[in-house]
Amino acid sequence: MYGNLVLRPDEIPNWGKKIEEEDPEKLAEFEARIARGEKIEPWDWMPFEYRRQLIRMIEQHAHSEIIGALPEGTWITRAPNFRRKLALMAKVQDEVGHAQLLYSAAETLGKSREAMINDLLSGKSKYSNIFNYPAKTWADTAIIAWLVDAGAIINQTTNSKGSYGPYVRALERICWEESFHLKYGYDSVVYLATGTPKQRAMLQDALNRWWRPIMHFFGPPDTQSVHTEKLVRWKVKLATNDEMRQQFLDMYVPKIWELGLTIPDPILHKDPETGRWVYSDPNWEEFWQVINGKGPCNAERLAVRRFAEANGRWVREALKSPQARYVMPLA
Amino acid sequence: MASLDPRIRRAEPALWNVELPPLLPLDQWQTYEVFVVRTRGSHAQHVGSLHAPDPELALVLAKEQYARRSTCVALWVVPTDAIHRTASEEEDLFQPATDKSYREPQGYLTTRERLEKYRHRLQSC
Amino acid sequence: MLETLEILLLSLADDDLILGHRHAEWIGLGPILEEDIAFASIGQDEIGHAQAYYQLLTDLGLPTPDEYAFKRPAERFRCAHLVELPNTDYDYAQALMRHFLYDAAEQVRLQALRQSRYEPLAGLAERLLREEKYHWLHARTWVEKLGHSTEEAYLRLKSAYHLLWPYAWLLFEELPQEAAMVEAGWLPPNAELRSRWLELITPILAGIGFEVGPPASEVLLPLQGARHGLRSPHFEALLAEMTEVSASEPEAEW
Ligand SMILES: [Fe+2]
Ligand SMILES: [Fe+2]
Ligand SMILES: [Fe+2]
Repeated sequence: MYGNLVLRPDEIPNWGKKIEEEDPEKLAEFEARIARGEKIEPWDWMPFEYRRQLIRMIEQHAHSEIIGALPEGTWITRAPNFRRKLALMAKVQDEVGHAQLLYSAAETLGKSREAMINDLLSGKSKYSNIFNYPAKTWADTAIIAWLVDAGAIINQTTNSKGSYGPYVRALERICWEESFHLKYGYDSVVYLATGTPKQRAMLQDALNRWWRPIMHFFGPPDTQSVHTEKLVRWKVKLATNDEMRQQFLDMYVPKIWELGLTIPDPILHKDPETGRWVYSDPNWEEFWQVINGKGPCNAERLAVRRFAEANGRWVREALKSPQARYVMPLA
Repeated sequence: MASLDPRIRRAEPALWNVELPPLLPLDQWQTYEVFVVRTRGSHAQHVGSLHAPDPELALVLAKEQYARRSTCVALWVVPTDAIHRTASEEEDLFQPATDKSYREPQGYLTTRERLEKYRHRLQSC
Repeated sequence: MLETLEILLLSLADDDLILGHRHAEWIGLGPILEEDIAFASIGQDEIGHAQAYYQLLTDLGLPTPDEYAFKRPAERFRCAHLVELPNTDYDYAQALMRHFLYDAAEQVRLQALRQSRYEPLAGLAERLLREEKYHWLHARTWVEKLGHSTEEAYLRLKSAYHLLWPYAWLLFEELPQEAAMVEAGWLPPNAELRSRWLELITPILAGIGFEVGPPASEVLLPLQGARHGLRSPHFEALLAEMTEVSASEPEAEW
């Protein structure tokens, strides 16, 4: 039983297998474990399809964090006072930290950080569309920290009930930090909303520009997205896009209205009969355009990441240890 | 389009002409597992992992990623490939097959009862 | 005496404020995620330290930290030119070398200020040293590691060192009214602090093969005057950026 049972991707025996090719006994055991509410850990047997889906999901999440640090990072030097500046720095730092935690969680499943960065830079893997929009004014940072982070919390709290141990543990810490972002964001928004007419106008303008990307944030409507019953059973997917979007509207529309702001959607209302929010089509065509690289900032975001990786290469090269061998981290 | 980000603008135009061949394995260094000792007297607890080129930098970097908010008294880092663990198929190793309550305090809950019974018997004699 | 105290505290605060801003430009652009996070903390700390120094003046009825940092005209800043230099080409060797030279200076400066006879400053120095311990550990570890690594790293560090050295030397340029400060027991003369700083960094720099010695006076001469209010050509743009939002609606609260 004793051994240095470290994990290397090339030693995963069922790598690349289709679900029908998996060992039925192991698969049944795996599913029973999840059904009992137990977590799956990196060293457990798992169907390759589970691994693949989680890698894709966690990797996208990690990319979103590191790219998400850019639109707000731009405002640190311009932040108007000490309190906001320090909080914004801490927040953006947290986002980089989230990327670090999430890349590690994805790595435990057998994809190296190098491979993930390569796929990000080549455009092969995606990240949240919302970070492909520009943060034009200070009010944008407030709206992002409040509403985009609110969306992130809904998404992450949902996923933190999932079945994969390392992802769940990372999300627990991330959610805690996000709740600071949310409070900071709301505080900034309230200052603008209760400030001078110019500040209010700035805030309303930011909300106008960010509303559509925020509606896109939870992904295409359920009618357009592929449902897989398997991912629900495996506790990889825990809520549908529309469920999360409804939850967001329920929690935040009243708060936005309370500030006397106008949401740029004339038909937005809660249907008293169904209890569901009704909203205009947020232009899903635009969503697909942006995800396929045609958003206002896609090119810059990737250029900046490429620049950062290229620029830091000599540092990483310099300290590379010749004895190092790659194993998958444990958490 | 020029960037809206002043600090990014300062990197232009070089920013747009970066050549970067795909990163090779270990470009981001090897990993270390991080353990935090929260208070004096407590065990170190595993909190995650990080990429670093050597143990000294692993500790320097772990400090800000794993202890920038929580207070703690020490950090440990261990190269991931130095960790030995039992296999997950061996999880049943830890499940006893027979009643082992004789080696636990809860295994001795009926002692008093025995004594009471004896006293009862004495009285009724 | 208040004016003299202001000169001293502004020079300390402004150094931290401006370097903190320069460090902050690296967030999201660092050489690896883990270092990005660590360096972001150091930048945050420096800005927090600046705020704490300004607060000592506020406590005496002078402007607030926000007024000092975001509403002061350029010519009233007292920072060293070292901290004003831009992150040219985002060369991390420059960022690290500046961080190393600066945080070594902070070690020396704060150790001395612990003994300051201006008690609020002594107390603050004591507290700041707690965070500075990490800055120094971080800086020294990186410089020593990279200094003993590849040829490329060595050469990059070396050219950063050559570029920054005269500026770093002038961190210890004599302050206006320094004699009065020394007399009051607020701090030792800057010339003395500089020699303690040299004692601290010389073994480390010599260890990686860099020569340490006073820059030529013709190099230093045109770079002097920062503590008297002479700003480098890089300062104006940075200050405009720092105050862009606050100046857009001067009476507003943010
Ligand atoms: Fe985040
Ligand atoms: Fe966040
Ligand atoms: Fe420092």
